[in-house]
Amino acid sequence: MNMISVLLPAFRSVMGEVTQQDIFRSLELMGKGMLGILVVMILIFLVIKGLNAVSGSKKKE
Amino acid sequence: MNEFSFLIDGAKYIIDNPKMAVMWLIGGLLIWLAIKKDFEPALLLPMGFGAILVNLPLPGVVGDESVTGIVQWLYHVGIEASEAMPLLLFVGIGAMIDFGPLLSNPRMLLFGGAAQFGIFFTVVMAVLLGFPLKDAMSAGVIGAADGPTSIMVAQRLGSNYFGAITVAAYSYMALVPIIQPIAIKLVTTKHERQIRMPYNPANVSKTTRILFPIIVTIIAGLIAPDSVALVGFLMFGNLIRESGCLDNLSQTAQGPLANLITIFLGITISFQMRAEAFLSWGTILIMCLGLVAFVVDTIGGVLFAKLLNLFLPKDKKINPMVGGAGISAFPMSARVIQKMALKEDNQNHLLMHAVGANVAGQIGSVVAGGIILSLAGVWF
Repeated sequence: MNMISVLLPAFRSVMGEVTQQDIFRSLELMGKGMLGILVVMILIFLVIKGLNAVSGSKKKE
Repeated sequence: MNEFSFLIDGAKYIIDNPKMAVMWLIGGLLIWLAIKKDFEPALLLPMGFGAILVNLPLPGVVGDESVTGIVQWLYHVGIEASEAMPLLLFVGIGAMIDFGPLLSNPRMLLFGGAAQFGIFFTVVMAVLLGFPLKDAMSAGVIGAADGPTSIMVAQRLGSNYFGAITVAAYSYMALVPIIQPIAIKLVTTKHERQIRMPYNPANVSKTTRILFPIIVTIIAGLIAPDSVALVGFLMFGNLIRESGCLDNLSQTAQGPLANLITIFLGITISFQMRAEAFLSWGTILIMCLGLVAFVVDTIGGVLFAKLLNLFLPKDKKINPMVGGAGISAFPMSARVIQKMALKEDNQNHLLMHAVGANVAGQIGSVVAGGIILSLAGVWF
């Protein structure tokens, strides 16, 4: 029995009951959200590098 | 006497509903902030006036069972039906943005991503405070520092705190020059703030500028389909700008379109500022959570830059303040970073780096909003 399950019956916060499901989902959202953003940014980074290479962009002197 | 009762019915209504008068004060405060303090006047002034309008005796502009009020109609058509107003505003914003600094220095994308951490951190905090998950997710998006994204996510999730979220989003965007320096100084040393970053941008071809918005839309749409509307309209505006053959449309999008939507958006949002919906402890907590989101966003970007510095050689270090520019408050955040840098070292110009991170943050925030909506679609 994990700590959250032990605490949950007594866990009533300022705005209402805090459910285990909501806690886990918020953490899942954090993980998936940051991962998703990272994946998109890396893909866009690669796209920009590719576009700059294909279109022959050079460093300004 | 009854035939003259209409003269006092309105006053009696307010006496029976004193919360409405409180909203007049809040509306007045927003108007004062807009005019006297120059806090995002384009939005806060209409919202402030709208807060007064929607808190006058029924049916007024709100309507009732028999009459549809004009603000109610604007809300249903402009926001509730399809989030048209914030999306159309995004066309104008996209036309205003120059992605050149990002395209010539694409590593700034990383900061645009890292600086969205505050959104998700705030969702967790809101859940721990007892908010239902959909309200927590809506509150977190305040950290996107992006009005249209905040409006769209809060509306789609059916948040009970839509009005508070919108007021918070635009208010804190106006407070970026105050919030960010404090947050940045909390987690950086003077030496770190003085790190110089030479700017050697790559030339960016017109082909790249034209293909960029198209490809980004496709990528964001495939990974976070619910972000297509936001990203798509933003990039559509940018494509109009970069095409080079639609100067009239670009100027229209940046000017008349953006101004027209802005005029009505503030008043329309105020539909959710009716006293019975707005005045609650939840609203106060949402405003506090919004501030947390902004601060943690900034700190997240700065700390990410410091983390990268651990692996970079001495002559290629990143000034951590640039990470703080990864929030979506464009172009204010970039200007704040530039000003802070010059204050520490009057030869250290970080503006173009900061602009690159800032526009990357615009992309990051809409992707974050899309991911939130995508997961909400699965859970609710």
